[in-house]
Amino acid sequence: MHINIKKSIFSLLISGSILSSIAQESSQMFQAVGSPVNPKVAVSWNKYYDYEGHVTIARKLEKAYPDLVKVQVIGKTAQGRDLILLAITDYKTGSSPDKKPGMYIDGNIHSNEIQGSEFASYTAWYLAESFANNTFIKELLHDKIFYIVPSINPDGRDNFLQQPNNANSPRSGMIAVDNDRDGATNEDGFDDLDKNGHITMMRRKNVNGRMKLDPTDPRRMIQVGADEDGEYEMLGYEGIDNDLDGQVNEDGEGFYDPNRDWAWNWQPNYIQSGAYKYPFSIPENRAVADFVLKHPNIAAAQSYHNNGGMILRGPGAAEDEGTYNREDVRVYDALGKKGEELIPGYRYLVVYKDLYSVFGGELDWFYGSRGIYTFSNELWNSFQYFSKADTDPQSTSYNFDKYLLFKDAFVDWKPFKHPQFGDIEIGGFKKTFGRTHPGFLLESDAHRNMAFTFYHAYHTPKLSVDDIEVKDLGNGLKEVTATIANKRMMPTHASQDLKYNIEVPDLVSLTGGKVLAGMIVQNKDLNIATEQKVNPTVIKVNNIGGQNMVVVRWIVQGGTKYTVKVDSKKGGIAELTK
Amino acid sequence: MNKFYTLLFSCLIGSQFASAQDYSNYSTLTSRAQQLEKKYPSLVKVKSLTKTLGGKDIWMLSIGTGNLTEKPAVAVVGGVEGSHLLGVELAIGFAEKLLAQSATDSVKNLLNQQTYYVFPNLSPDATEQYFAKLKYARSGNAKSTDDDRDGVFNEDGFEDLNGDGKITMMRIEHPTGEWIASPDDERIMIKAELTKGQKGKYLLLSEGTDNDKDGVFNEDGEGGVAFNKNMSYNYPNFVAGSGEHMVSELENRALLDFLFEAYNVYAVLTFGPQNNLSNPVSFNKAGTSKRIISSWYEEDVKVNDLVSKTYNKIVKAKNAPVSKATEGNFADWAYFHYGRFSFSTPGWWLPETKPDTAKKQKAFAEKNDETAYLRWAEKENISGTFSTWAAVKHPDFPDAKVEVGGLDPFVLLNPPYKMVDNLVTEHTNFVMALSKMVPTVAPMNVKTEKLEGGLTRISLDVVNNGAFATQTKVGEKSNWVKNIHVKLETSGKVLSGRANQTIGAIAGYGKESLSWLISGSGKVTITIASPSNGQKTVSINL
Repeated sequence: MHINIKKSIFSLLISGSILSSIAQESSQMFQAVGSPVNPKVAVSWNKYYDYEGHVTIARKLEKAYPDLVKVQVIGKTAQGRDLILLAITDYKTGSSPDKKPGMYIDGNIHSNEIQGSEFASYTAWYLAESFANNTFIKELLHDKIFYIVPSINPDGRDNFLQQPNNANSPRSGMIAVDNDRDGATNEDGFDDLDKNGHITMMRRKNVNGRMKLDPTDPRRMIQVGADEDGEYEMLGYEGIDNDLDGQVNEDGEGFYDPNRDWAWNWQPNYIQSGAYKYPFSIPENRAVADFVLKHPNIAAAQSYHNNGGMILRGPGAAEDEGTYNREDVRVYDALGKKGEELIPGYRYLVVYKDLYSVFGGELDWFYGSRGIYTFSNELWNSFQYFSKADTDPQSTSYNFDKYLLFKDAFVDWKPFKHPQFGDIEIGGFKKTFGRTHPGFLLESDAHRNMAFTFYHAYHTPKLSVDDIEVKDLGNGLKEVTATIANKRMMPTHASQDLKYNIEVPDLVSLTGGKVLAGMIVQNKDLNIATEQKVNPTVIKVNNIGGQNMVVVRWIVQGGTKYTVKVDSKKGGIAELTK
Repeated sequence: MNKFYTLLFSCLIGSQFASAQDYSNYSTLTSRAQQLEKKYPSLVKVKSLTKTLGGKDIWMLSIGTGNLTEKPAVAVVGGVEGSHLLGVELAIGFAEKLLAQSATDSVKNLLNQQTYYVFPNLSPDATEQYFAKLKYARSGNAKSTDDDRDGVFNEDGFEDLNGDGKITMMRIEHPTGEWIASPDDERIMIKAELTKGQKGKYLLLSEGTDNDKDGVFNEDGEGGVAFNKNMSYNYPNFVAGSGEHMVSELENRALLDFLFEAYNVYAVLTFGPQNNLSNPVSFNKAGTSKRIISSWYEEDVKVNDLVSKTYNKIVKAKNAPVSKATEGNFADWAYFHYGRFSFSTPGWWLPETKPDTAKKQKAFAEKNDETAYLRWAEKENISGTFSTWAAVKHPDFPDAKVEVGGLDPFVLLNPPYKMVDNLVTEHTNFVMALSKMVPTVAPMNVKTEKLEGGLTRISLDVVNNGAFATQTKVGEKSNWVKNIHVKLETSGKVLSGRANQTIGAIAGYGKESLSWLISGSGKVTITIASPSNGQKTVSINL
């Protein structure tokens, strides 16, 4: 049945004719504000798609909006799938696409944290479908470019969706690892004993066990009191001791953690559990890192995880505390606090302080090594069950399933004859419950998180040459003074970037006339300036602060018309002629 | 006779190695490796791990017999530092000398028991600079890098101002200079010290011009990322030559991709700048009690100590300089991140030379490698390695007196080639002595006790016959070091004990006791195996 559902989604997606035959007439539809009313690419956002499903959405968007969406293959996954990236901008206006300030987005780095891909694809879809009718989006795609990798871990995504799993498995990517170091890989994973595509729990009747049924919901197992006899013992997730080493399910898919693989403060697996061989030894991450290294215009980044309702920023490791200085924290705080407002129930937190200290995380590399302002959102939390903070999420989840999902999330306990444990019962929540959104809440949260990334992207630097002043100095000499402004919150260089010269300075150049001298003006009124002695035509400005400006000046011989151009890796290009 | 004819000539007479006059360039190294494969086809396989950006193969020689991956292995690594040509020579030379003895019983036996993976040169793009038209010490590969991070690549390299084909130093008489001629040897420049009442007279810079006019000389020339600065342990971010991130380079990745899957490697021997063989590392408790460790564990320090004693017995040179801890180096990586016993030696260092009283030489007032070198060179009759300071015209200092001169590149790290053969012999003997300490597992004290009711209890000790522990303390915790796998197969039924189990580390000459209770009769086979500790089987008839 599982397979059939997947196939029918797929055929709906690829077959436009079927779609139109069952679609409503456009005259029957009226726009709900903020959502595309009659999109060229129809996608329902209340379900999950496997990787091919997301590739199909991407390809259809590219076909429907060739001037907005380009799909590129940036590498191969460990199992040989194409790793795709959507580069979305208004290709017809603004400067050349890869010179526009970029916003990078990915999801699903952990195989079981799937909804990030739907959020990422929703963002791509929303941008393309809203462009024609929404001024804000039009402007955003004029100024910026979005690089969206719907799944940074396609092999793992498909394993989670297509193979029997629980909500926590697999976290790892799909390269086989010998977890128990016995020389064999993946030889003792889960076993889907009841063949329903979900790895649920095993329990056995046992008066010496310490569990019993919850009287308020007998599906739920709770601990007995200290002086009470038990009814059941729990035997863990569905499985068999396949390799007869006395342990059940100890060497399954993976295990490594693709989010411990990034080359900033990376540590090996005996220090940082989950690290693979060396930084970027995971091919999917390497492909992304290589792409980012070739795109210094990426100024902002977002990755989607689950769960907990968190908007996370670095540092990931306590050892990196000094990396983030006050100016950067101000920018992060302004963005993060806006995120809390846009996504109710989510909290803005710092990984190492508020979560756990971790080495080799993606957001740390983006910021530490590339100077890119980056967030990781932990999607979904128990707040969303009944739109309030929850003190007992475990029990609430049973109520939520009962009253809002009508028990669709739970596989009822059923007897099973286990080859090693004898008579047991198998049951529990499906893999798609607990960490991932139920269908009816998926689009809503995708939209809110997307809005946060739009705010983030909007505040990447926007440079303009505000004014050119020309003053005659006599003797055929002129003084040309230009004001370069940054109209957004982010500086062209994060403080980490400035500290290590990660990106080159912003270049402000003058054409028209012969440049005799050039300088950066610190105080225009008091006439204090610092001269750049070498190559004064192109003034190197280390940084243009957020909501700030710099003034540059040249002494020029001749010329009547002057063009001042600013070229910044993360701030884009702007020019003015006078 | 120039190099080309030397090579041609030696090829003609078919004994190219015996008559080699100089270190091997890339093509000579390649043919030396291929010759070995041709000469010992059953013992050597040569493979290219990858091609560098400079188009050079990273050669790997797998030496041994039978199934190499099932035998404990030593990885021998040379050329980790591009200006250290001796490292290349020691690695390939080891392979040659080992194989030359392959008909002897002891080496035949050794090659039946163990495997050697020899990587003669990890920096072929850099070492080639020694043989180039313009000779200078180079560590970086052929990647184009922006070493000074100014947005322009390779725009400020060296210039051979005096046209002698090599890059030395230049001194400029300058009021703000910090350097003076050494009172010990006026040819050598030292820093003036205020406390000694000295005032500087010269600026001292490498030979060249400030092409990009940024006030820094020769800071962004050809020569990209250094192999020995690009590893993940203690990696230096944003430093010239370290690359844009850890393990970014093809050479580093290819070697690591191989090594991580080579579970049989129990020790790594690096011929490079680090030295823990002349003097072993010392244990620092604070360094092992942090989350990110920075000291070897105490048990492993003992092993290092033992190996160092062995080294000093075989390798005659004494008074090695204290090893400098550099960031991102390979030898440290091999212990801290690869979890293997890691040994490293430069193979040669400047010997101490006593003052020659006949020549009225005095003891030096200050320790300085360059003055020491000149005294040693004189004693050894080595000439032509120092260029006398001679004036040149310099565009950046049109009004100052600029002189080019100083010690040749390479000479402080690499001895004259005629000394190499003996060093190779010593180090080959050392590797063979090291191999005797290999941790190997075997069953001992095998006991079968017949109990009532057709039950049998089998017990045995798994012993480690080597001086090394089966795993380093780091290895015990690493996913990339295998445990010892003990498997019991029987037609009977195992009532107690595990049919499949793993044992973690066993200390040098240590043991682990196991027992099983079995009902039924027939044959019982117990296999004890680990890729880095060998494989043994016990058969018992119940």
